[in-house]
Amino acid sequence: MPLFFTQTLAILQKDLKTEWRTRERLSAMAFFAFLIVIIFNFIYEPGSPIIKTVAPGIFWIATAFAGLLGLSRSYAIEQQNDCLMGLRLTPADPGAIFLGKMLGNTLTMLILQALILPILVIFLNLQIAQALPHLILPILLGTLGLATIGTLFSAMSLNTRLREAFLPLLTLPIFIPALLAAIESFRAVLEGSEITDWLVLSSAFVALYIAACLLLFEYVLED
Amino acid sequence: MPQRPYIYPFVFGILALICLTIAPYLVFMYAGIEKEMGLAQKIFYYHVPSAFSMFLGSFLCFIFSIFYLWKRDKNCDLWAACSAEVSLLFGTLVLITGAIWAKPIWGAWWVWDAQLTLTLILWLILAAYHMLRTYLEDPVQSARFRAVLGIIGFLNVPFIHYATKLWRTHHPEVVRGEEISLPPDMKAAFFFCVITFFALFFALLFKRVSLAKAQNELESLKAET
Repeated sequence: MPLFFTQTLAILQKDLKTEWRTRERLSAMAFFAFLIVIIFNFIYEPGSPIIKTVAPGIFWIATAFAGLLGLSRSYAIEQQNDCLMGLRLTPADPGAIFLGKMLGNTLTMLILQALILPILVIFLNLQIAQALPHLILPILLGTLGLATIGTLFSAMSLNTRLREAFLPLLTLPIFIPALLAAIESFRAVLEGSEITDWLVLSSAFVALYIAACLLLFEYVLED
Repeated sequence: MPQRPYIYPFVFGILALICLTIAPYLVFMYAGIEKEMGLAQKIFYYHVPSAFSMFLGSFLCFIFSIFYLWKRDKNCDLWAACSAEVSLLFGTLVLITGAIWAKPIWGAWWVWDAQLTLTLILWLILAAYHMLRTYLEDPVQSARFRAVLGIIGFLNVPFIHYATKLWRTHHPEVVRGEEISLPPDMKAAFFFCVITFFALFFALLFKRVSLAKAQNELESLKAET
């Protein structure tokens, strides 16, 4: 295996291991996402037919906000005991560090989504059993998009005066096109219509931003 | 003592001033009144050139950001930051004039039209860029981070364009009053307004850059004493 991927896997393994030891981040994210789903229930009449139209939006808002909560911690944990300095000193390629962290964040968010979906099904009385296989690809692409720009910006936001609180301000404006694609394709799947255009958009988004972040991450990590 | 380009803001300022006095004449007297939209269409002569200036500003920011990361020249960062700031100003103008135009034509201040949404999202990115500058302390790090955001942000434009277009075709509520072929008098007035706004854009940009340079000089002089 090329060195780059070995390094990526090492970083990924490290992140997943530290996360799994405490599960602090994931439980906070899951609870926050649960709260968002519950709070959104108060803005419309229970049992109204509007649910089918707004459910994809609620799912993605919960993912994005709870995901940002987790993403903001992804570098904050590296600041303890100067771990970030340690990471910088390793011979690992900055791109590999980025990719490892990004994949770790993607996996965490995918677990989060696996928890949100049943909550949506129960509390919004949503029927997604048949649509589920078609939902996987758009959800995966949307999550990859969020994790890519979120991982890049979480390293940046830590250095601002607002620290983690600055992350959403950077990430959300850039994430809008991918978010739009994710919500619309979710809705289209529920309605049984075509989603190819949205998939093209989100795959292009993910591909371009992963490439851009691999190149630019070096400048973010630099001290 | 580094030389500040005082001459450019002056030249472009005078050009913009002259053009801005002629432009209203061309817009209101020379160009005909559009049949369907009436006088409200006149704002198009200021709205569209502002949008062009905004995109020019973000494009310049993108180019200067790349050059900054490549050459590490402080001036590139200065130019990128100033282009983004002037671009933000023109973006605000686009959004305000768009709202003023939309009220009589579409009956609402804001319509989620594809192009307006694109402008709004780009405006948000520029605002985030501006905020990033105010919230970072270390000037070198700030320059690097802003360059990264400048590149990432501009790369987003095609995605926003495509996404908003797809989104609006999925919800066909608004029929855009597009000026596809303009009569020659309107075209002449329009092109003149584009030149006017570009002159204004460069006047403001050069002025802003010379101001920023003076500010930096002052900072370094303060640091010396």
